[in-house]
Amino acid sequence: MDNLVLSNIRQRPTRTLIRVAGVALGVILIILITGLVRGMLNERVRREEGIGAEIQFWRIGASSISASSAMPLDVRYADRLKKIRGVRMVSPFGHYVQKSNSGLGFEVVDGIELDTYSAMSNLRIVEGRAFQTDDEVIIDEFKARQENRGVGSAIQIFGKTMQVAGIYSPQIGSRIKMSLGALQRALSVENKCLAILVKVDDGSPPEEVARRIDAELPNNQVVLTRDIGLNFRREIPAIQGFVRAVMGLSMVVSTLVILLAMYTTITERTREIGILKSLGAPKSYIIGVIEKEAIAISLIGVIAGLVVALIARFGIEWGTTLQLEFHWTWILAAGLIGLGAGAIGALYPAVRAANQDAVKALSYE
Amino acid sequence: MNAILKTEDLKMTYRVGKVDVNALRGVNLAVAPGEFVAIMGPSGCGKSTLLHILGGLLRPSSGRVIVDGEDLAAMSDAARTDLRRRKIGFVFQRFNLFPTLTAEGNLKLAEHIHRNGKQNIDDNTRREILQLLGLENKMRHKPLELSGGEQQRVAIARAIINRPAIILADEPTGNLDTENSTIVLDMLRKLNRDFGQTIVMITHNPEAATTASRTIEMRDGLIV
Repeated sequence: MDNLVLSNIRQRPTRTLIRVAGVALGVILIILITGLVRGMLNERVRREEGIGAEIQFWRIGASSISASSAMPLDVRYADRLKKIRGVRMVSPFGHYVQKSNSGLGFEVVDGIELDTYSAMSNLRIVEGRAFQTDDEVIIDEFKARQENRGVGSAIQIFGKTMQVAGIYSPQIGSRIKMSLGALQRALSVENKCLAILVKVDDGSPPEEVARRIDAELPNNQVVLTRDIGLNFRREIPAIQGFVRAVMGLSMVVSTLVILLAMYTTITERTREIGILKSLGAPKSYIIGVIEKEAIAISLIGVIAGLVVALIARFGIEWGTTLQLEFHWTWILAAGLIGLGAGAIGALYPAVRAANQDAVKALSYE
Repeated sequence: MNAILKTEDLKMTYRVGKVDVNALRGVNLAVAPGEFVAIMGPSGCGKSTLLHILGGLLRPSSGRVIVDGEDLAAMSDAARTDLRRRKIGFVFQRFNLFPTLTAEGNLKLAEHIHRNGKQNIDDNTRREILQLLGLENKMRHKPLELSGGEQQRVAIARAIINRPAIILADEPTGNLDTENSTIVLDMLRKLNRDFGQTIVMITHNPEAATTASRTIEMRDGLIV
């Protein structure tokens, strides 16, 4: 190993490992968090669109991605909506948000009117039967498979044990569904719902029907389902902030790890810096050697982080109902942040080394 | 005398706490091209300070240092570094090899720095130097796998690999036993005789000093 940079990396394997882990940690954080946010949002959008309603009718300020289980809309709006020209059918629904049974994230339980919801979405029970009492729910095939639950299984909702009466297909809306009436009673909100799904007549342009609804029932939100993904992102600007915060945090963690490790390394190699100076190495050369080492380590860290993130994705998707979607832009961003952290973290130790007094450095013990 | 290395009224004062220490008090020295000069003197007489100034590692408080026609004392740190790269080779008492590199790696690193990162010298030149120093079979070894004498010979090879105008040796036999000291001094003499290499060597050892063509004595920061 006749390259100073590579030989130095190999010289202290434990320290190299710590530096690689520091960078990898940042990369893993970015890739997993952005993958999780993206996966959850996109999956939610796909399942919302799968219901088959072209329009959703909401109270102003209400949101399907809210962690609140509040149901602010009177179900009697359903009757008024049905009378609007172009509306074929309506289905009010509510939801209850609770901590996931896996302990990772949260899960949503839909409260639906099974008849109208099934007519709109082609939901069908593929195993067991529909819910009949307030203590029964149905779950989708994915959840049944993922959590190894079957008909008759127990499931915790509202902090009490309920029973899986049936398994439904396709995967639309939330993965657990119960009767809207049962949900209203559980939450003590009679005749209330979160929103109303609206299916338009064949051939009726959804935009026109939405305009009519807005005109007849003003001061509410009329949302086209196809815009729901856009709305999700608009409604939760905090997600962008959160993602940026994760990126910033990752950068800081990686930079600090590299800075501390390189600082210690440079102190240990003081005499070697003196030798380089005695050989006539200019400051730029010394800085270059240290920077190259840091960037090489960061590159290994980025690759290691990517591999671990891919393995973690497999593990998370296998062990939970969460879905992750990686996108090359975030992988690129994570890589650049990892490399940038290495370069920035090593800069101060490198400049400090380059400015050392040659004679003092040579006599360093 | 047409000197390759010359100092004029060279003074160096260190500040130690609140006390000024005059390490050099007006050194005048001239070394001719191809000369082998030994500098002797007791500890603290200023030998190492003089060597560090001659090599551009330190800037003198006053006076001039002319190395192959260039005044080191008037140069910036970067310019002194550049002159060191082009014209000076150091040999240290403690060898100062890179422990993570093989002997060959240490030589190539010196070549790399000397050539500003450009292509290294041809293998024939390197082989000629290695043969002279008896190191042909040691190139794949790291410093810790070599004896002290072998390490110092690698350090000498590193110092001369770029054919510098001057070699500055700081007690090159100070860490060696008698046998290896003799070998290293023979190498230096051979380099001086066969290649006309200018050498300035600091030593405490009068026997080592006899290897040189001229011996200079220092006392209290002055040549006596």
